Amino acid sequence: MGKSRRTVQIVILLLILVLGGYAITTSVSGSNGKPKEGDKAPSFELLGLDGQVHTSEEYKGKAMVINFWGTWCEPCVKEMPALQAQADKWKDQGVQFIGINAGEDQMTVDNFVRQVGVDFPIMLDRDKTSIRDYGISPMPTTFFVSNTGKISTIHIGQLDLDTLDAQISQLAKQP
Amino acid sequence: MFQNTKCECGHQNPVGTVLCEACGKPLQEAEAKSKEVLEMRYDGMARRSQRSNPNFIDRVWNFFSSVKIAVYLIVFTLVGSMLGTIYPQESTFLNIDPSVYYKETYGQLGHIYYLLGLSHTYESWWFILLLVMIGASLVICSLDRVLPLYKALNKQKIRKHMQFLTRQRLVYQGPIEEGAEEWITKAVTPLKKKGYRVHTEGNALLAEKQRFARWGPYVIHIGLIIFLLAVLARGLPGLNLDEHVAFPEGEIKKIPNTSMYLKNEQFNVEFYSEEEVPEQFRNLNKIVPKLFETKVVLYECTADCSDLSKKPQLNEVARHDVRVNHPLNYHGLKAYQFDYDLTPTIRSVTPDLVNARTGEKYGSIQIDMVDTKPTFEVGPYSLTVKDKFMDFGLDENGQPKSLSPSPNAPAFLFVIKGPELPEEGIQYLYFAKQVDKQRFRQDEINQQLVGGEIPLQLEVDSMDKVDIIQSVSYLNIRVDKAMPFVWVGAGIVMLGLVMGFYWHHRRIWIRIDDGQLTLGGHTNKNWFGFRREVSAVLKQMNLEVDEKSLDNGGNQA
Amino acid sequence: MSLLDFSSDAFIVSFFLYCAAFLLYAVAVMGKKWSNRDPQAHVDRWGKRAFIASIVALAAHFVFFFTRWAGAGHIPVSNMYEFMTFLSMMIMVAFIVVYAIYRKSLLGLFALPLTIIIMAYAAVFPQEVQPLIPALQSIWLKIHVTLAALGEAFFAVGFAAGFMYLLRTVDFSGKDKSSRRQRGWVEFTLITIVVVVGFIGTVFAFRASGYETVFVQKTASIDTEVQEDSTIEKVIYRMPPIFAPYQSEVESITPFLGMKEPLLETPSWMNGVNAGRKLNTVVWSLIVGLILYGIVRLIVRRPLGQALQPMLDGIDADDLDEISYRAIAIGFPIFTLGALIFAMIWAQIAWSRFWGWDPKEVWALITWLYYSVYLHLRLSRGWQGRKSAWLAVLGFLVVMFTLVGVNLIIAGLHSYAGAD
Repeated sequence: MGKSRRTVQIVILLLILVLGGYAITTSVSGSNGKPKEGDKAPSFELLGLDGQVHTSEEYKGKAMVINFWGTWCEPCVKEMPALQAQADKWKDQGVQFIGINAGEDQMTVDNFVRQVGVDFPIMLDRDKTSIRDYGISPMPTTFFVSNTGKISTIHIGQLDLDTLDAQISQLAKQP
Repeated sequence: MFQNTKCECGHQNPVGTVLCEACGKPLQEAEAKSKEVLEMRYDGMARRSQRSNPNFIDRVWNFFSSVKIAVYLIVFTLVGSMLGTIYPQESTFLNIDPSVYYKETYGQLGHIYYLLGLSHTYESWWFILLLVMIGASLVICSLDRVLPLYKALNKQKIRKHMQFLTRQRLVYQGPIEEGAEEWITKAVTPLKKKGYRVHTEGNALLAEKQRFARWGPYVIHIGLIIFLLAVLARGLPGLNLDEHVAFPEGEIKKIPNTSMYLKNEQFNVEFYSEEEVPEQFRNLNKIVPKLFETKVVLYECTADCSDLSKKPQLNEVARHDVRVNHPLNYHGLKAYQFDYDLTPTIRSVTPDLVNARTGEKYGSIQIDMVDTKPTFEVGPYSLTVKDKFMDFGLDENGQPKSLSPSPNAPAFLFVIKGPELPEEGIQYLYFAKQVDKQRFRQDEINQQLVGGEIPLQLEVDSMDKVDIIQSVSYLNIRVDKAMPFVWVGAGIVMLGLVMGFYWHHRRIWIRIDDGQLTLGGHTNKNWFGFRREVSAVLKQMNLEVDEKSLDNGGNQA
Repeated sequence: MSLLDFSSDAFIVSFFLYCAAFLLYAVAVMGKKWSNRDPQAHVDRWGKRAFIASIVALAAHFVFFFTRWAGAGHIPVSNMYEFMTFLSMMIMVAFIVVYAIYRKSLLGLFALPLTIIIMAYAAVFPQEVQPLIPALQSIWLKIHVTLAALGEAFFAVGFAAGFMYLLRTVDFSGKDKSSRRQRGWVEFTLITIVVVVGFIGTVFAFRASGYETVFVQKTASIDTEVQEDSTIEKVIYRMPPIFAPYQSEVESITPFLGMKEPLLETPSWMNGVNAGRKLNTVVWSLIVGLILYGIVRLIVRRPLGQALQPMLDGIDADDLDEISYRAIAIGFPIFTLGALIFAMIWAQIAWSRFWGWDPKEVWALITWLYYSVYLHLRLSRGWQGRKSAWLAVLGFLVVMFTLVGVNLIIAGLHSYAGAD
């Protein structure tokens, strides 16, 4: 009788520990929902300008520089040529540049891309799904993701063109 | 292990028993000699957590079993909750940076508030920890007490030791004239009339009623445990959805993270008229809404749902007029009216292509703001959209750009080719809104682009040709599959409260020895009413007793 | 005469009838020594008359309630004025229930002033019928608010009985630290009640004289686009400005006792455009209340508690203890159902979530947790008598903060109060 009581006590205390631990950890980490540096980068599935659907699976194994932008956002427009230059430079070194447009339609993005001359993949996030998944608020926001899929840096605001090169080379080196 | 604690009545009691389980005689030496009112908790049974040498598990168990600790936990939760109301919590805002907001709005105190984590009190680890500990206390406190209580109440003896009776908190002693058995038998009727279950054994009697009331607190605790577990379960992935979505009137939009689509067919809003608003508020220019509702149609995607390059096939599944307090409910998916915006925006404009000199109309084109057609054929002319600006403005170099993605000032740069036009075509900038045409001086710009007179114009001849989205309705879409359990928990709590506070467990023990009637009574609550009832019963037995005299002292709940 | 006008008249009739009932209770209790008849018979006879008067007053009160309902088109519990009057009505109901069980007329001597004061306090708020916003257009308005008020009414009766217990048992001649502390806190409670009465009196006095001072306040704020926004707000004071709003200018001022300009300025750390007005009101209430207390004290020449104690001679302290507990025990399930469970159900229906940690919701929870502590300490830890009585008194303060403090000091989803 005493033995079974002891078992009951231990079972209950363990349950409380497990449930309590779950409650505390989900509350502390999940209260934001926004991915932070060090988290795994959320997956995405978006229609590209090329009319094809692209998923994050396609770029597995490569480091990614994901730039969230819009044609009305001045700093986004300003930094686009620099991004294009970097994309060319790092294309064969395992760093994939991706641009995700926030909610504008095909024509708007097409016109812009043609004018500026962007050839790295541009995706259309019409429903702002990825914007939400990545917790994007102001734009431009750029996610530097390592080739293991972890978010290395989140840069909010216009990219510092001087340090951009250094940032990317660091990203490329990461295991 | 077991020490021999045999009572004089012959019953073997476990170690730690205060009152003999059979006859109720106080077992411990000091207790037996005292005249004080008996400690009737658990009818004097041994509570296991008070026994033997506690090891670590026991110590943790005893910690959570203690009512004193439970009270402290509740008080800390109470105080913590208060702190969270000093300044608005982070969750009340849509989009702020807490590390600067509190400092800016409330100064240094606000910043300290933020640094201490109080700006998200109810999601902080220590608050959740308190709730977890209260949960633990609920489980362990109840387990520890309900079993001994059940055992004690289940095996009650009718004839109890004299001290057991005389040291209750309600006591009566007095002589009677009839014979013992006669009196006992007569006493059964008035007791039964008051709802008691009566058991007799010669010259002894036990009357008991409403035992279920004792389980009240434990039912409350079970309800609270279910409630807390359900609240925890709400957060499990797949059981919840919480999206705030803007639905422009007349459009179908996908509900994120679902395969459902919702159409805002029509949005209505009515305001209280001047007369309906009391005088005191009229001057404040408060526009009070009387009613606002969204007529929605809910669709489910049946094919091509995840293929982004194709349009999804939709099937209508529900219709509802969504208002505050009247959400749409479709198999657990609910849409609540959250907010609305009455700023109108253009959906499309259908101008005619007109010869600027002769006025001849060649035909009309429909220009949609979103997903604009790239080329149009009108009469002999072809128009190609070279550039599109949703919110026309000029950048620092004087070049045209779009200031925002919303169609606040839509403009389209066409290349028009056709008869009597140069081969490469002419450029034509068209502002969808009349006010923008004037603001940006459309004709001057076009003259410059053509390098002379403008040959063609796009003109809208009536407001019918402009399709306007009158309003945007903001709905809160939610799924909360764990809610039924939350309500079940709450319901059980109510049941326990009513059981425990509105009914009371009462027991009366009577024994007659040599013409002397001894009566002892016990109730868990409401001694005042109990005294009144016993007095009434005794009156039925022709014994006039003042209610107050039945009071034998001691702590009375 | 319109229904609403009739309803206002019924309110006034009811108010005066309550005052009459109170006087009858006073005669019942204090007069038992005057007459040369049997004191118990005196208490019984006058107590019965006082009780009947209370019932009649309550009936008039119900008339007010139902005629206002008919005239306004919705149940009159949707703003501060309506709710407070409803609460005072429920306190009478709770009193009658408790009286029916215990039959102690003395309880009426304290329950009635409680009702009267809350009714008067209600009248401070704007009384006009306000149209219901869509969020309040629901059957739950009838269920949640009324039941919550009933639960709180029982807590109020518990407070009255608890306070009576303290007045009854406090030792006014003891020299030891404990007695002195008890006396001090009892007196403090009485002073607080006098300040509340002072507040009500001040509001009505200045309202009757039509006093008004208008301030113009310019507030500059930095909005989300880092632009400076400046708004101009008008603040109307209905009491002479001791504290003017922060950084404001006088538009028009009625002089008072030679005071033509505000005396002081509200400190900047007090937030909100109405912070100055509220501070001013609080300061006025304190001043008038303390003056009032001083006058009464001069007349009675003893601490107020000591003057009141003889009134409680005829009642057993244990009975008061039990009444206080019983009222709270009856009210607790009702409060749980009305203020928490039905509140959660309504919140789920209206706002899509059953609990949002909104200040009003949190304070309702705090009240619930507080009384749960009261019950646990009493039932499981043997906290009876004085400790229990103080908890009952403090509990009522928590209840009043939940009802009034949250609406006036903290803003949130629940602020339907109407300007004050």
